[in-house]
Amino acid sequence: MNVIRAVQLYLEKMISEAGPGMKMLMMDRETTSIVSMAFAQSEMLQKEVYLFERIDSGRSNERLKYLKCIVFIRPTRDNILRLQSELKSPKYGSYYINFSNIIPRTDIKSLAESDESESVREVKEVYADYLPVNPNLFSLNIPMCLQALSWSPDALERSVQGIISMLLSFKLRPAIRYKGSSSVAQTLAKKIHETINKETALFSFRPPEDGSPPPLLLILDRRDDPITPLLNQWTYQAMVHELLTINKQRVDLSGVQGVPKDLKEIVLSSEQDEFYAGNLYANFGEIATTIKVMMDEFQKKAHDQKKIESINDMKNFVETYPQFKKMSGTVTKHLVLISELSLQVGKQQLFEISELEQEIACRADHSTQLQRVKKLVSDEKINLHNALRLILLYSMRYERHANCGTSGLLKALQDRGGRAHIVPKMLEYISTSARQELFNTVKITDAVKLTRNLIKGLKGVENVYTQHNCVLKEVLEEVIKGRPLDAAYPIMGNELPFRRPPQEVVVFVVGGTTYEEALAVHRYNQEGCKVILGGTTIHNSDSFIEEIVAATAGIPFKHSRSLQQFHSAPHGEA
Amino acid sequence: MSNPFDDPDEGSSGMLLLRDDAEILEGFLCPICKADLKTPERLTAHVEQQHSEEQDLLKSLREMFSFAKKKILNLDETASELARNLDSSLGQGEVAVRNPRLERYATETNKLIIRLDKLLDGLPSDPDARKRHEQSKVPWIDGKLVKLCPSCAKGFGLTRRQHHCRVCGSVMCDGCSFHLSFDEARSIVQPEMSSKDRDSSGFRVCEHCLHLLMNRKEMQDSRSDRPPVTKLYEKLLQEKREITPDIPMYEKIIGSLYEGDAIYRLSDASALREKIGRAAERIDNISKAILALPFPQGSREESLKKSIRLSCIAYIKEQMLSTPPLPAEDEIKKIQARKKQETARRIERERRLALEAYERYELQSESYATNGSSSSSTASTAEMTNGRFYPAPATGTDQWSGFQTATVNVSASADPLIDQINIVKGYIRQAREAMRFEEVETLERNLSELTQEFYERQRRNAQEGGGPVRN
Repeated sequence: MNVIRAVQLYLEKMISEAGPGMKMLMMDRETTSIVSMAFAQSEMLQKEVYLFERIDSGRSNERLKYLKCIVFIRPTRDNILRLQSELKSPKYGSYYINFSNIIPRTDIKSLAESDESESVREVKEVYADYLPVNPNLFSLNIPMCLQALSWSPDALERSVQGIISMLLSFKLRPAIRYKGSSSVAQTLAKKIHETINKETALFSFRPPEDGSPPPLLLILDRRDDPITPLLNQWTYQAMVHELLTINKQRVDLSGVQGVPKDLKEIVLSSEQDEFYAGNLYANFGEIATTIKVMMDEFQKKAHDQKKIESINDMKNFVETYPQFKKMSGTVTKHLVLISELSLQVGKQQLFEISELEQEIACRADHSTQLQRVKKLVSDEKINLHNALRLILLYSMRYERHANCGTSGLLKALQDRGGRAHIVPKMLEYISTSARQELFNTVKITDAVKLTRNLIKGLKGVENVYTQHNCVLKEVLEEVIKGRPLDAAYPIMGNELPFRRPPQEVVVFVVGGTTYEEALAVHRYNQEGCKVILGGTTIHNSDSFIEEIVAATAGIPFKHSRSLQQFHSAPHGEA
Repeated sequence: MSNPFDDPDEGSSGMLLLRDDAEILEGFLCPICKADLKTPERLTAHVEQQHSEEQDLLKSLREMFSFAKKKILNLDETASELARNLDSSLGQGEVAVRNPRLERYATETNKLIIRLDKLLDGLPSDPDARKRHEQSKVPWIDGKLVKLCPSCAKGFGLTRRQHHCRVCGSVMCDGCSFHLSFDEARSIVQPEMSSKDRDSSGFRVCEHCLHLLMNRKEMQDSRSDRPPVTKLYEKLLQEKREITPDIPMYEKIIGSLYEGDAIYRLSDASALREKIGRAAERIDNISKAILALPFPQGSREESLKKSIRLSCIAYIKEQMLSTPPLPAEDEIKKIQARKKQETARRIERERRLALEAYERYELQSESYATNGSSSSSTASTAEMTNGRFYPAPATGTDQWSGFQTATVNVSASADPLIDQINIVKGYIRQAREAMRFEEVETLERNLSELTQEFYERQRRNAQEGGGPVRN
């Protein structure tokens, strides 16, 4: 189960079905990103796709009848109308139409009626309606999916479509489990269940061999684990996302000093960049070593390149130059990235912050932690964003603590000009179950969990910067070991729950997933499980805070009345 | 025979059974009566009916088949996992909706074209006569019945006169009518004739008819229209198609050369490399020609030609020029020499062994020397075999040239095997000249098989020759 490969296969098929000859690809805004995640433009050129056009913007009226037009669009109302008008006066010789999801019959009919000049050769559904990020990770690129803590209708529809296409592309007809205490998870699970039952013809795959359990779709809610996106991560991909932000495989380095002109925006694709693919999940220490090795190798090659004395050397140079050039591109790119990362780590004192973050997330020690947070928040060297993150973590952990010092911390933050109003919003955002389970504030009734926590405590910590385990990891462990989940994660519909672990698992996090969770999934996959992770988006702490602000806009304050003075945002900020 | 397979009580019945006479039976055999039942279902049914007493056998049979089935299905699944992304084709539905509609349009358009043809046929140039001619071909709707223009819904009067569509005869106002020039009309009726008419006037037509007619014209045009870029592009595709199989072939030849095989020669590799290089140059030139086509600045065609050029450059760079360089001749020679030495050593060893064996025969035959005179001739054949025919077939063609003359002169040139070898060699030469290296390879393999066979036969002959002596 590799989502990138799946999308690539779809595209390859789409292109090969149009046959040889000059081709152009017509896309919409979203499918453009989907295609760009799977193939680089140069790869598309090799497949004889020479022109790219957006159906929804920047159309020209040039007629190029000798081109074959491959259409790959989402089956939205607007797109159908645009395609209809295109077909009424076709600009290209023939059309191969591919919809990225299930398309209603009526729309097909209206398309057929517009095709007066018989230019449509084929109409198909290909189920590539999601952004493949890593082989095991997909995103739907919905940055804000909640309004007043429930689904915004558009985001819900898009999520249903995305998950349905994901299931179809791997031919999964899953049992659906969702976090029982989360209403958004339940709504989504219900919608997906309905769609699957409506499209029985599409979902009629060969049932799993006798006795083996069906695949599992597990729907989680970000509100149950608000900690993970706030923590500093130390693996390569996660760090780049946290410190520099990856947006659809692209990293904007224009704000970074001393970057060569051609590296203002770099592409990080695990498909095209071997080094990146091999080090997605490597931690910061490892990656520094790896890049050193790569540097040495490169320098050796560069040295070889320099000594051109004989004709033979020259011939060798010409022959190995393309590889050399490619390698030098990769080396420079990652060198720039890593040096920027380590610069930021030093400047923002991330080691110190990360250690405290992990302490707060994993251990209860109120007075010491409060002291340390206080010290860091008032430290001018710590930037406001990091100070806010520490206070957020602290305020969630010690919300009910008798000597809770949140308001004092917020004052200090406000004095420095920080966004103190985020904290009450966060306290409204997190769910009841997060309150109860995340920090064990409730009396522990679950004996198994208690012992496990004890054992964890006794074993000691391997790495202070990576002690925290995301909720997803714990749930996945239950799933993969086949432990009963019924109480907290009820099953949708009246399907009988299977006691044995499912062979394929798709996890979807409403409210966005993180690269830390992708790492957890990656580890399970290395052990031979088949798990795919998806989310409405992929968060770093910045985008997560934005999502919280959007999700809690306009709701009354219930849990944070004591922080009333910080409720409203300062002027000039929403 | 202690074969577990033929013991029915073991329950391990199935696919392969050895009978006492050691004849191998394959298929879905009944372990009791050894009949081949062809399919697992029939076998199970057979055992159920005929040997119902053997309950445990039946059970084990069922288990085995379900296991095998599982195994096969599982394999199937892993193989098809990536190809699982099949999508449902909706083309059928689309065609079903589109076709009747298109047919309706097509008949309507055809009707219009027939009328147009009639109108054009013998069209008078005098306006009045023309009007009469037009009305005689297409009946006009009575203007009195139409009070408002059907498309703009404005009333007719002195300023807004009634006009008729010449093709369908309907009424509209001046603003809603369109103009179809005679030129265009003629080209619609007879697409292949494009006569330049001096007459600039034409027919007045309604929007609907114009749309249908122009649609038809466009379809005709796009079918016959072939701008230079498509011609060049087709040439490009042709070149690419021709050269594509050669690139992996070249890599294979280089690999085999480094192995020290004698199937290909260094000259083969360099010829092929040269061919690839020339094709690269041609592709480069064609793409340059495409780039040189004049297209308006900033148009999509301009970006198209740039993209084509880019992709060609990438193709040449990554596919054609990234081929490994030719190995140096002396290096190959060294490898081949080493290999030759190895073979020579092997030959030496074999010869020694054969000699020893021969000496044993010799001793034996000497003891029987009085019995038959045939031994001396056998010995000489054997010696000849040892001496001349021993070179291992894979050592290459150099040795063979020596061998060939020898065989032709000495032994029976009527041997069909030798003829065959000679023919194959001729083929190889031809294939090599035509650079059909795949053929060269299979032929070389054929040749080595033939020589092997020849050598085997010679040896057998020698031994058979020695055989009777012993008896």
